[in-house]
Amino acid sequence: MDFGFSPAEQAFAEEVRDFLRAHPPETFPEDGTDAGYGSGAHSRAFTRALGEREWLSMSWPREHGGQARPMMYQLILLQELAAAGAPFGPLPGCLQVSDSIIRNGSDALRREILPQVARGDATFWQGYSEPDAGSDLLALKTHARLDGDHWVLDGRKIWSSHAGIATYGTVLARTDPASTRNRGLSMLMVDNRLPGMDVRPIRSLTGQVYHYEIFMDGVRVPRDWVMGKPGEGFSQLLKGLDTDRFWGRFYKAPFLRRILGLLVEYANTPVQGGPPLARDAAVRRRLAHAATEIAALRALFHRAAWLIERGLPATGTVSAAKVMADELGQRVLSLGMELLGPYGVLRAGSRWARLRGEIEHQYQTSWGHTLAGGTSEIQRTTIAVRALGLPAEPRVRA
Amino acid sequence: MDLSLSPAQQILQQSARTFLQQRCPPGRVQELALDPRGFAADLWKEIATLGWPGLLISPELGGSGGSVGEVLALVEELGRACFPSPFVGSAVIATAALAAAGGRRARELLSALAVGERICTLAVLEESGQLDPDALAMPVTAPGRLSGSKLFVPDAHAATDVIVLGRGPAGSTALLLPMDRGGIEARPLDCMTGDKLFELAFTEVDTRPEDILGAPGGGWALLGPAFRLGALARSAEMVGAAQRVLELCVEHARVRVQGGRPIGGYQAVQHACADLFRDVESARWLTWEAGWQVEAGRPDVDAAVAATKAYCGEAALRVARRGHQIMGAIGYSEEHPLHLFHKRILAASLDAGDAALHLETVARAIGLS
Repeated sequence: MDFGFSPAEQAFAEEVRDFLRAHPPETFPEDGTDAGYGSGAHSRAFTRALGEREWLSMSWPREHGGQARPMMYQLILLQELAAAGAPFGPLPGCLQVSDSIIRNGSDALRREILPQVARGDATFWQGYSEPDAGSDLLALKTHARLDGDHWVLDGRKIWSSHAGIATYGTVLARTDPASTRNRGLSMLMVDNRLPGMDVRPIRSLTGQVYHYEIFMDGVRVPRDWVMGKPGEGFSQLLKGLDTDRFWGRFYKAPFLRRILGLLVEYANTPVQGGPPLARDAAVRRRLAHAATEIAALRALFHRAAWLIERGLPATGTVSAAKVMADELGQRVLSLGMELLGPYGVLRAGSRWARLRGEIEHQYQTSWGHTLAGGTSEIQRTTIAVRALGLPAEPRVRA
Repeated sequence: MDLSLSPAQQILQQSARTFLQQRCPPGRVQELALDPRGFAADLWKEIATLGWPGLLISPELGGSGGSVGEVLALVEELGRACFPSPFVGSAVIATAALAAAGGRRARELLSALAVGERICTLAVLEESGQLDPDALAMPVTAPGRLSGSKLFVPDAHAATDVIVLGRGPAGSTALLLPMDRGGIEARPLDCMTGDKLFELAFTEVDTRPEDILGAPGGGWALLGPAFRLGALARSAEMVGAAQRVLELCVEHARVRVQGGRPIGGYQAVQHACADLFRDVESARWLTWEAGWQVEAGRPDVDAAVAATKAYCGEAALRVARRGHQIMGAIGYSEEHPLHLFHKRILAASLDAGDAALHLETVARAIGLS
């Protein structure tokens, strides 16, 4: 077995680190909040800087303007960005959507969207959840009907990240009114600027806006702005789910390693002339324990990456890694709050705030992670049924 | 990155799985566990013909000069079968120390270990129970007389030789003694895990200059890395045992019907099984990654192995403990194999350094002052 990176891959990692040294992440203006997954804030300026390096399109096939670089390069890029705390929040979404457009999109969509993604001009929101369709996504009510050369889209989406500052959304809608459940759904690419779009912010418990609710009233979407075959949107979504979940989470390990580094730094600092927290046996043991869990999480994600790269079944491993990442994140941030004591609750910028107030913010964001992208309950059911072969619970029909 | 088993590892894994299924079924494990002097001399001879005890011994001494990866592939299978044997103590830890020490006696012993003629145990821990050279007090001089007690010595009833680590004039010093040297007495410790542990009492044991393994004062330099390899092997053993617990639980959840359907169709049981899967897989890949680091000679191996041993112990014990809940009452009975795996994991978690020791190594590695 070889867990290492090839010399060419190591050289690329060094190239990314050089870039980050030359362009310190904190110098880029942020235009959307950091949701704590490890991908940092939404920064269009930083996304464009990545575009200038041609890193946003490097894994695409050459005929679509890419360099056909293997998946490991993307993994290295995101890993290095996360370790540096860079604001690359929109990047996983860009990778997922461009991948989907290359696999399933029409020529019109490829021509229009891909160059914008490559430059860092386009970022995306996902329109899946609805007020009455959360874990039961197939209960969705948003629908679209063909009218000449356009789909006419009506409905309401919710919990869409960065939708108010992104440029396009991928909206799952029922396009066959006679269909039920998983058939007759289509994935439409929707331009935020179209008439009939109303994108409203939802202030989260952190005090910041990350999610939006989207009201779509007679929005006219070009007929060929559908991803894949109309009516097959859901099976397409399922096919991409392992990679979506992987790219949505795997940088949580380097992120948590960075947070742990901050906590070690804090524990080593003498407190008002007394001994540092690091001398306390319980503190040492708990921080070391967190380090072992982070190392195990990283190994599990690398296993998932390898399975995906080889095209082997990865569903169980990816879901297990997501569950572990999100629950471990909550434990590490909770440990941080405990170590910081009364300082832990002081916000960034506040007098006496420790560690730049980062623990307070990330502690709060961590409570959304076991819900977003499929709750931990959904992930565990997925592991049990799809990886371990246990029987599915009978569905209750309404 | 390539996370597949090499062809040699695959062959070893397959042949080990087949052999252990045929020759060491749960009934045999049970029988050996319940017998206070249980040792499967027949199985040890058979695995010697398969070359397992010589896996880490160089070909010129009759071994096969295998890699760390092969040891992990094999020991994971030993764990999966809950195979009771002195393998990790003798064929991994003692073998690694003897190979590092070199010298005529060590080489002679390695040749005999490779063909299964002799078995070597380790007498290191004392009353503190800590695997730490600074915690060792037994005075060691050679030539001289050795007196005192070593605790938690594994398989002393089956061993022909013992490596004793004590405190010499030049610092921690290792001796290699035959078990039949006058004045060595093995007193069994009654142990719930089914492991055979002993107090090894030394009374005025005659020691000679040629008994010193390696250099005087260099005992820990030999045994530290050997125990590191042992910690890695114990991690793989726990992964294998936890994998088997997962399989037993999932199988039970599929076939056990309550309330008109298999209990594995209820979310409460499904989610418990999913957690077992997470724990087994994360422990497995952490172990293999640490094995790769050891093999590649990376600088941070101490911390990597320490983190692995601490994590695998915790994760595998979680699997065993949760497994009891999934398995229900039948898993509480002596005849069901679940408790054997649980106890094997518990024993492995304590051997080659417990969680407290390894977490302190990790604490220093992450920069805690």
